[in-house]
Amino acid sequence: MAEIVFAAGVPHAPAVVGLFDKAPDEARAVVSRTFDSVGRALRAARPDVLIVFANDHLTNSRITAYPDFIIGMAPEHRGPHEWFKEWIGCRDWAVPGEPEVARALFAGLTRRGVRMNAESGPLKFDDNLSVPTVMTDLDRTGIRVVPVLQNCTVPPFPDGPRCYAIGQAVGEVIRQDLPAGLRVALLGSGGLSHEPGGARYYKIDEEFDRQFLALAQRPDHATLLREMTVARMEEAGLGGTAECLSWFIVLGAIGERPGESFGYTGWPSFRCGIGGVLWNLQEAA
Amino acid sequence: MAWEKYDPSLATHDLVQDLKWDPQLRQQFKQNEAAVLDRYKLRPEERRAIEQRDFRALYDLGMHPYLGGQLSRFIWGNDAGRGAIEAANRLVASLQGHAGGIPEKP
Repeated sequence: MAEIVFAAGVPHAPAVVGLFDKAPDEARAVVSRTFDSVGRALRAARPDVLIVFANDHLTNSRITAYPDFIIGMAPEHRGPHEWFKEWIGCRDWAVPGEPEVARALFAGLTRRGVRMNAESGPLKFDDNLSVPTVMTDLDRTGIRVVPVLQNCTVPPFPDGPRCYAIGQAVGEVIRQDLPAGLRVALLGSGGLSHEPGGARYYKIDEEFDRQFLALAQRPDHATLLREMTVARMEEAGLGGTAECLSWFIVLGAIGERPGESFGYTGWPSFRCGIGGVLWNLQEAA
Repeated sequence: MAWEKYDPSLATHDLVQDLKWDPQLRQQFKQNEAAVLDRYKLRPEERRAIEQRDFRALYDLGMHPYLGGQLSRFIWGNDAGRGAIEAANRLVASLQGHAGGIPEKP
């Protein structure tokens, strides 16, 4: 029986790297506080493996044959993929993979009725994994990583209740299938409100973001699932805000726990609302 | 806009994916855009929209916005601090039907 020792949700907007130096002080402070706190908590949790759920952004598959989930089974993961290097403006990074855990996750979720896909070769990563990796210095920790790329942008995609149920299945796989003593960390990478490539590219829905962050911190998932529908997410930013669904998977896996946030910024040039949540796994609801 | 106009079969989607995955094709697109467009089964109105940088028309034909954003970066620039900002500004101006005036540029 493995144990979940860390759980958090963070955004991955590329501009928090590329435009960090141009941002106003208060926006920079939120970015630094969020990623520094999450990175520190991750290292303190001493995980053996980190499973990251992150939107794929149409980076690995054609739109005509688009999987809802791809588990990265490679022994190593590298990024950013070539075309995204100058766009994100971050350093090249590499993290060790964990093929055994990836295989167990693939088999365990399949047995529990969740349609997954898996890739044993290299996956292409854009901001989805690159931004949290460089902002938390994950690539300097030696922690092994299993990326799970999620479709949050090509409709129709799994909604909140489905993602939450998948998260519950992920929790079962960790507790029932993975080896005893294995320490597992979970990260949801995505959100908050943004509309990449849309007419409202510069619009950030601060009301949505603040409500989402507040609900994500509350150990009351029924309310979260009722209020934070895909329709509401799309209203807050089409094709981008629904990345918040990656957090739903983490929440399904850990159950109702209180969370802590590190502030919020809606600086327009980030083209995305920025805020994160770290969940307290010691404290049950 | 919601997803009612979205059409996953639009050939422009394949063009964007190939440009993203193939640096040589990107180079050719810069040097001879027409020759690259010739390789795709673009509808006449679809090709015209690309040539005229008319993203509103492309989206009305069914283009996925995320790939539309990437197409704008192949055209106007992809680097974090400059080109990508110009691409975003021009894309939004096209979608909103004006020449510019995006607020709060860094």
